[in-house]
Amino acid sequence: MSGAPVLEADVEVDRREFAVRAAVRVAPGERLALFGPSGAGKTTVLEAIAGLVPLRRGSVRLDGHVLTSTQRPVLSVPPWRRQVGLLRQDPGLFPHLSVRENLAYGHGVDPDGSELADLAATLGIAGLLAAMPGRLSGGQQHRVALGRLLLAHCRALLLDEPYSGLDASLRRTLTALVVTMVAERGVPAVLVAHELADAQAFAQQLAVLDHGAVLQVGGPDEVVREPASRRVAELVGYLGFVPVVPDGAGDYLVADRARAGSSDRLTAGIHPDQVVAGRVPGRGLVLRGPLTGCRPAGAGWEADILCAGQTVTVRLPARPGTDDGELTVTAAGPPVFGAGDAAVPPGQDRPVTGPAAPRSTAS
Amino acid sequence: MSWAASPAAAAGGAVRGDQPGQPGGPGRAWPVPRSLRSASGALSVVAALVIWLALLGPVITLLAHLSFGAIGHALSYPGALDPLEVSLESGGVTLAVLFAFCTPLAWMLARGRLPFPRIWEAGLLCSLLLPPLVIGLLLVFMVGPYTPFGELIGHFNLTATNTFLALVIAQVYESAPYYVLGAQAAFDSVDPRLEQQAALLGDRPRRVFRRVTLPLAAPGLAMSLAVAWARAMGAFGAVIIIAYHPFGLPLQIFTTLQETGLASALPYALVLLVVALPLPLAAYVWSARARGRRRG
Repeated sequence: MSGAPVLEADVEVDRREFAVRAAVRVAPGERLALFGPSGAGKTTVLEAIAGLVPLRRGSVRLDGHVLTSTQRPVLSVPPWRRQVGLLRQDPGLFPHLSVRENLAYGHGVDPDGSELADLAATLGIAGLLAAMPGRLSGGQQHRVALGRLLLAHCRALLLDEPYSGLDASLRRTLTALVVTMVAERGVPAVLVAHELADAQAFAQQLAVLDHGAVLQVGGPDEVVREPASRRVAELVGYLGFVPVVPDGAGDYLVADRARAGSSDRLTAGIHPDQVVAGRVPGRGLVLRGPLTGCRPAGAGWEADILCAGQTVTVRLPARPGTDDGELTVTAAGPPVFGAGDAAVPPGQDRPVTGPAAPRSTAS
Repeated sequence: MSWAASPAAAAGGAVRGDQPGQPGGPGRAWPVPRSLRSASGALSVVAALVIWLALLGPVITLLAHLSFGAIGHALSYPGALDPLEVSLESGGVTLAVLFAFCTPLAWMLARGRLPFPRIWEAGLLCSLLLPPLVIGLLLVFMVGPYTPFGELIGHFNLTATNTFLALVIAQVYESAPYYVLGAQAAFDSVDPRLEQQAALLGDRPRRVFRRVTLPLAAPGLAMSLAVAWARAMGAFGAVIIIAYHPFGLPLQIFTTLQETGLASALPYALVLLVVALPLPLAAYVWSARARGRRRG
C-alpha cells in the first residue's frame, strides 16, 4: 500500500424522495460514523463513494486521486479500480467458494501465503479456512468478509451497518476488531449506523444525517451533549422538550403554558440519562410534574413526567419516589433551542443563527 | 440439538457418517419417517405415490411391453440407428445455439438491462404458448425457400426446409423459450450484491460473470439446458412440417407406427427415452450436489 490515503467526498445524489447532500473528509486511520434514521440517505453516501450510484454533482477523491467528478473533466472511475472496500449487513461471501478462496478473492492474494494465514489467525478464523460459508455463524462470516477486504488492500473501508443483525456482545467484539485493523492499516473508514451506541463505539467523528442533509458533525460525545438543533437532539436520544425562560442569572426556568405559546419561545432538551433525582438548583433545570409512567429499564428505572404540558422521559438509578404523585428531577445543563429550533449558546437567550445548520464540516 | 448443529460441525470440522447411538444404528429399530406417523400423513404419502405412479405410467407400460429380442430385432436393420445419430447431432447443435445466443438474453432479462422488460417477457411467453405444429407452419412462411431468408441462405447453397438446418431451426424454436425462461430464473437467483462485491474487490464485469455469476447460476442453467435438451429430442410438431427429412427419432417412431404398427415403434420409443433422459438426470444430480456443497 502506498502512502496514507485521505478520503474526501462532496456528493449530491438524486433519490426519488429527496436529494442527498454530504461532504466528508476522513484522514488516514480516522473513523467517521454517519448516523441517522432509516431512509436518511446514509447508504447512498457510501454507495456514491464506492461508485455504485451516479452523482448529480460533486466529487470523490482518495489519496488525492479523483475517483468521481461531475466537473470538467467529468470522470467516474469504475468500482473495480477504486480499491474501496464495502462491508454490508449481509457479509456477501461467495457461497460457492471456501473460506480460503473467499479470503483470496482479491487480486494478487496468495491463497497459501503467510499474509492470509496471519490475518486469519488474527481474525480467529484460522480453523475455518477449508469450510464453506454456509457452515459459518454470522459472526464468523463477518470476520471472513472483513479479512477479504483487508487482504484486497482496500484503501478506504466503508461499513454499511455491518453488524446490526448480531447480538450486542458480538457487535462490540467485531467493532473493536475493525477499530484495531483500521488503526493498523491506516485507512480511512466510514461507518453507517442507525443505532447511536454503534456509531459512538466506532467513531472519532460523528456526522448526523437526516432527510439527505448533514445536520451536525462533531465528536461522538459532543454531538450528544451539544446538539446543534432540536432535530439533532431528537435523533441522538433526547426524549423530552419543555418550554423554558431565562431566569436572568444565566440559567433557565420551566415556563408556564401561556408563556410556552409565545413566538420567541425557548425549549430545553432533556436527555433521559442526563438527569438526577430531586431538586439540585445549581446543577441545571429543575423539572417537577405528575409521574405518568414508570417501568424498569436496564439496571435502573425509566419514568415519564408531565411537565409544562410536555411528557418528559428520564432514567434514574432507582425506582423514583413521589411527593403527592409528583416527581422532581434536575436535568444537568440541558441544551436550549430557540426559534427555528437552532441551539442557543450557553449564556445567551437566543440562537446565533436562524435555522439549524451543520456546526462544522467533517474533517 | 441436531447432529448437524454440533459444535464440531459449526466449527467447520464436522465429522460425517453415523455416530454411535444415532437412530438407525446397530441394535435399534429403523425409525418410522415423520410423514408416516399419523393416519393423515400416511394417506398423503399414499396419494402422492399413486399420482407419481400414474405420471410414470407410460414409462412403466413401455418397459412392460418390450423384450430384449424385439429391441434387438428392430434395431438390427441397416440404418436403424441413423435417426438416433441425427437426433443426437441436431440436439447437440441446438443446445450449443441456445447456450451461445439465449444465455446473454436471459442474463439481460434477469438483470433488467433491457428497456420495457415486460414486453420482452410477454414475447417469450407467446412463443412458449404457440403449439409446435403452428410453429412449424409459420416457420415455412418465415424461412421457406421463397422467403427473403430462404433466398438469402440460398446464395450459400443452403435451404431451411427438409434439411439438417431445418431440423435444428425447428428444435431451437420448440425449446428456446423453455431455456430462456429457465436461465432467466437461474440468473435471478444470483444476488446482485455478490456481483457488486466482486467488482469492489477488483473484478471487471466479464471477470465477475465468469467467477461469480456463472458458477452460482450454473445449477439452474444446467437444469434449463436439460429441459431444452428433452424438448429438442422430442420435438415433433414443428419438425414434421419443416424438417420431415432427415429423420430424427420422433419422426422414426411416427413413420414406423404408420408403416408397420404399434409394436415395431416401441423399441425406438425406448431409444428416445434412453437418449433423452441421461442429460436431465445428470444435470439434476450435479445441481443437487452443487447446492449441497454450498450448504457445506
